[in-house]
Amino acid sequence: MIWQILLRVFTSSDLWNATLQFAALLILPALGGVISERSGVVNIAMEGMMLTGAYAGVMAGLATHSVLGGVIGAIIAGGLMALVHAIVSINFKADQIVSGIAINIAALGLTNYLLFIQTGGQGVPHLSNALRLPTLSWGPLANIPFIGPVFFQQNVIFYVAILILLGMQFLLFRTNIGLRIRAVGEHPQAADTAGVNVRLVRYLCVISSGLLSGLAGAFLSMGIAGIFNSNMTAGTGFIALAAMIFGKYTPWGTAGACLVFGLGEALSSRLQDTGASPNLLSTLPYLLTLIALVGLVGRTVAPAADGIPYEPGTE
Amino acid sequence: MATLSGQRLSASQFTRWLRKLGASLGRPLFAILLAVIAGSIVIMITSPGSLGDRFAAVITAYQSLYIGSLGDLQSFSSTLVRVGPLILTGISVALAFRAGLFNIGAEGQLAVGAMTAGIIAFKLPTWPGWVLIPLMIIGSMFAGAVWGGIVGLLKAWRGAHEVVTTIMLNWIAFFVIDYLVAGPFKAPEQANQTPSLPPQSTLPRVSFFYNQTLGNFLPKIASPDSYLVDVSIFFSLLALVVYWFLVSRTTFGYEVRVIGQNPKAARYAGISIKRNIFAVMAISGAFSGLAGGLHLMGQFPYQIIGTTFSLDTTGFDAIGVALLGRMTSIGILLGSLLFGGLRQGSGFMQLNANVPGDLVFIIQALVLFSIAAEFLPTIQRSLPDWLRFSRRPALVPAIVGSTTAQPPATGSGEDNAEKKTTNEGVAHREEAQS
Repeated sequence: MIWQILLRVFTSSDLWNATLQFAALLILPALGGVISERSGVVNIAMEGMMLTGAYAGVMAGLATHSVLGGVIGAIIAGGLMALVHAIVSINFKADQIVSGIAINIAALGLTNYLLFIQTGGQGVPHLSNALRLPTLSWGPLANIPFIGPVFFQQNVIFYVAILILLGMQFLLFRTNIGLRIRAVGEHPQAADTAGVNVRLVRYLCVISSGLLSGLAGAFLSMGIAGIFNSNMTAGTGFIALAAMIFGKYTPWGTAGACLVFGLGEALSSRLQDTGASPNLLSTLPYLLTLIALVGLVGRTVAPAADGIPYEPGTE
Repeated sequence: MATLSGQRLSASQFTRWLRKLGASLGRPLFAILLAVIAGSIVIMITSPGSLGDRFAAVITAYQSLYIGSLGDLQSFSSTLVRVGPLILTGISVALAFRAGLFNIGAEGQLAVGAMTAGIIAFKLPTWPGWVLIPLMIIGSMFAGAVWGGIVGLLKAWRGAHEVVTTIMLNWIAFFVIDYLVAGPFKAPEQANQTPSLPPQSTLPRVSFFYNQTLGNFLPKIASPDSYLVDVSIFFSLLALVVYWFLVSRTTFGYEVRVIGQNPKAARYAGISIKRNIFAVMAISGAFSGLAGGLHLMGQFPYQIIGTTFSLDTTGFDAIGVALLGRMTSIGILLGSLLFGGLRQGSGFMQLNANVPGDLVFIIQALVLFSIAAEFLPTIQRSLPDWLRFSRRPALVPAIVGSTTAQPPATGSGEDNAEKKTTNEGVAHREEAQS
């Protein structure tokens, strides 16, 4: 009986479509985390940046009556939150974890505050279908059985996320810029001596993490939900954080982690017939990450200078 | 002559004490001031009307924030309901900070503490209160200690960064509790909530408790129903004393402080870093677990409702409380009063001034930013010499900064520890001076 259900669940294209959709939602902030931490700035604020992006996306979309306007608004809002994190942790050399927590609290407060001002505490802003991020259908490809619905009937951001993933891998490991980013994260003093502008690199990397998280927020509110709800990210940014660590701070590893976590999330609502608890399945990403940290699946090691503000002139 | 020199000594002692007070109060007060100003700007931007109207809106908002939290005994009593858990989780975060560890898992530890207290009561519903209540308190502390102890173990023996493990354990706790609340401990014919605790396992309100004990000899409280705070607030205040004693009067506290300020020196002094890291995290978790258990036993609705904890921010507010209070007992008390008061007053502010209560989240975040960023010393540094209030270098970053130090067990940790020694040496000397 259970095997029949499992067979049915695992062979449905619906499961794999949802898996990829959730993985795409996770990979954007997770890659943001990768680039920020690779440059040596700890970022646990992807949750807050996503939430800000989700709110700004809906609001900007409604204000400009265009999808693109909404997405741009979301990206800018995420970037602004990241800019605050960058200023506080790079210029003021603040504790980056405290700053990250403050960003998360500020994002929750700010979005709820503005939402209340706009709606008077009643109702939530909806997007009409024209203002939602569209699901692309790739003509004849979309009609291939199983493969079509899984790969070729995804939201436009899914394809953007794949491009960003490939771009990030190339940027970090095949370009000069990537070499500099990694140098700044591993040994900023050496990078500085070699003529790399440590602060500039860190600024750009932290802001990129905000732009990516903002885009993910837009995907959530403008694509998946079509609505903005209070605290609608509900921990997604922290699953992304887990994915980044589980993926050992590399784009490919992170992508793999996002797929695993995405499958877990997709399964959690589809296995109720077997008696499995969706709540217990939801602990999977966090449990796996703990196991990875303990070193049972190969130890995760953060960049050497991660979280340490750079002081010129120190050794 | 003797009296003269004695006077001089006491005078210099007094100025030194004043300077010390100023140094420890200055930055937290500046952080609060900055946050309040920024909050006013947010209100002014978002409220309608002329500039005068907007200014009036700011005044009304802060006024109602004050009235809603401290205005009368009734609201103060409600504020204390929020202060209790903040004190306990604040101690939890502060104790970990003292050892250079960043416990952002207070919320998860609080959650497992509450759930364990609940489970004990639901499993033994017929036991008398005088057995059940201590059992639930011990159970909640034990559960919190386990949840924190896991973090300590992973940190001490595998070098897993405590920030990451606490975040993971927070969410594991939330989901496991959601599962328990929706499944094994679900109230009949309800969704996602446990039944109420058996009545003998709940803690009485202070007002009722007073009327039944001292009230027999002294004047009774007229309407005990309107004062919400329960007797668990006394446990929280007692915990402040315990925390002070633990940190400043025991060998354990001394070792913990040495590890936090200079792990290398601690190792040379023969202090076991691994054992202490585990112990600190376990004790830290116990305080948070106690917060969860006491709140469940002391406050309506005396039951656990699904997703409560993932939406609750006590464990995160505690970070602000600990930082604002500079890890001291008095400071934690004041910080808890501020944050608890803000949260309690926010409802009245929303009703009375029509300013969304979520403003207090923004204020809290700004307090965190300005404490973490040490805006005041940075501004002071950029001022010309004669304008500076004080030339003391920052203290908090030395303590907070050390949270990023890896355990000495790992290769990179050694470098960090060495790098840190220079910074922390400064902080250490400074403390010795003051």
